[in-house]
Amino acid sequence: MNPYVLTVLLSSLGLGTTLTFASSHWLLAWMGLEINTLAIVPLMAQHHHPRAVEATTKYFLTQATAAAMILFASTTNAWITGEWDMNNMSNPIASTMIITALALKIGLAPMHFWMPEVLQGLDLLTGLILSTWQKLAPLALIVQTAQAIDPMLLTALGLTSTLVGGWGGLNQTQLRKILAYSSIAHMGWMLIVLQYAPQLTLLALLTYIFMTSAAFLTLKVSSATKVNTLAVVWSKSPVLTATTALVLLSLGGLPPLTGFMPKWLILQELAKQSLPLTATVMALAALLSLYFYLRLCYAMTLTISPNTTAATTPWRAQTTQASLPLALFTTMALGLLPVSPAIVMLVT
Amino acid sequence: MTPVHFSFSSAFILGLMGLAFHRTHLLSALLCLEGIILSLFIALALWALQFESTSFSTAPILLLAFSACEASAGLALLVATARTHGTDRLQNLNLLQC
Repeated sequence: MNPYVLTVLLSSLGLGTTLTFASSHWLLAWMGLEINTLAIVPLMAQHHHPRAVEATTKYFLTQATAAAMILFASTTNAWITGEWDMNNMSNPIASTMIITALALKIGLAPMHFWMPEVLQGLDLLTGLILSTWQKLAPLALIVQTAQAIDPMLLTALGLTSTLVGGWGGLNQTQLRKILAYSSIAHMGWMLIVLQYAPQLTLLALLTYIFMTSAAFLTLKVSSATKVNTLAVVWSKSPVLTATTALVLLSLGGLPPLTGFMPKWLILQELAKQSLPLTATVMALAALLSLYFYLRLCYAMTLTISPNTTAATTPWRAQTTQASLPLALFTTMALGLLPVSPAIVMLVT
Repeated sequence: MTPVHFSFSSAFILGLMGLAFHRTHLLSALLCLEGIILSLFIALALWALQFESTSFSTAPILLLAFSACEASAGLALLVATARTHGTDRLQNLNLLQC
């Protein structure tokens, strides 16, 4: 893509999120979300491939609907209370509508149906931006309005998302769809603890961004989009095979990797709040996700030579991709568990 | 609920139902989106009058600016869909299913 166009689009993405972070007025927050949607649409459709255009159209429709619902809910709240301030959402209908619209924005179940298809149609770097950066602004709004929202609704959204994210990913062979369901499940974990300890929501978001970035960047280096192609990454880069297997286990939430940290702290917080049933259901739903991560690890690491390969082994050309982001995110996705107290202090 | 509140709320909800349950053409979804934005424009304009707030009087124009950009992006996507899929019928948007 033309570098000037790319600069404009990426800085618009940054501007939109910053605008939403900095706003306390609903109209300004809506504008930030709209700027984000408008800036990512050309990035998504840049290849003019039919699948990319279809994914862009579906994404645009869902995000535009969600933004209009946000504006309607805040207008209703303003008609009834006279307040546009984000921290004073007192009308229950308006706050329910706001959380539904924001859940549609980030792909929480039961508003998640667009997410696997949209991620499937995108190339890996745009998919990375969609999974990580585009979640920041709506999550900031959710964290700000959390106390006005019906707690039962938040718990229901969180539980449904983890269950759907687990079950939906079980039958997938396309890696981008697996990462989409993984995103849905992680958003569920972030929501479930929002009403009790918002700092754990931010912690879960931070670790999710590290792990997902590591996963997407690895897939970009090996150009792997299916499980079969993932099974021959060992011939291109053995080191990457080892680290990616560990990153996938970190996404699944296994100790001693970073992914265990948010799940552990969230389960501890739920237990402190006397919600053992919720905690048990969350832990069991995490097992569903763990199954498909383990299947990817198995395909990557336990089917290598002398077994017959599942796909044609790739050419081992020199990669031109910058290695620093991948190295950084992989290290953070694997090694942050011992410094958990420091990380918790960072988000408190 | 005042009559004004009821009328723009029902306009919004009708547009939202049209957007959610459109069955044949992508263009009808975009039209319903425009109807939604229009109802929000009227809501913002009348809010400034109702609450006699002069500082908020520019809000409808700001909404209009952003929604015009959004509508044109939607139309550009409609053209792109027609180019890649041949038509804007929603049955043709089936390349990405599981």
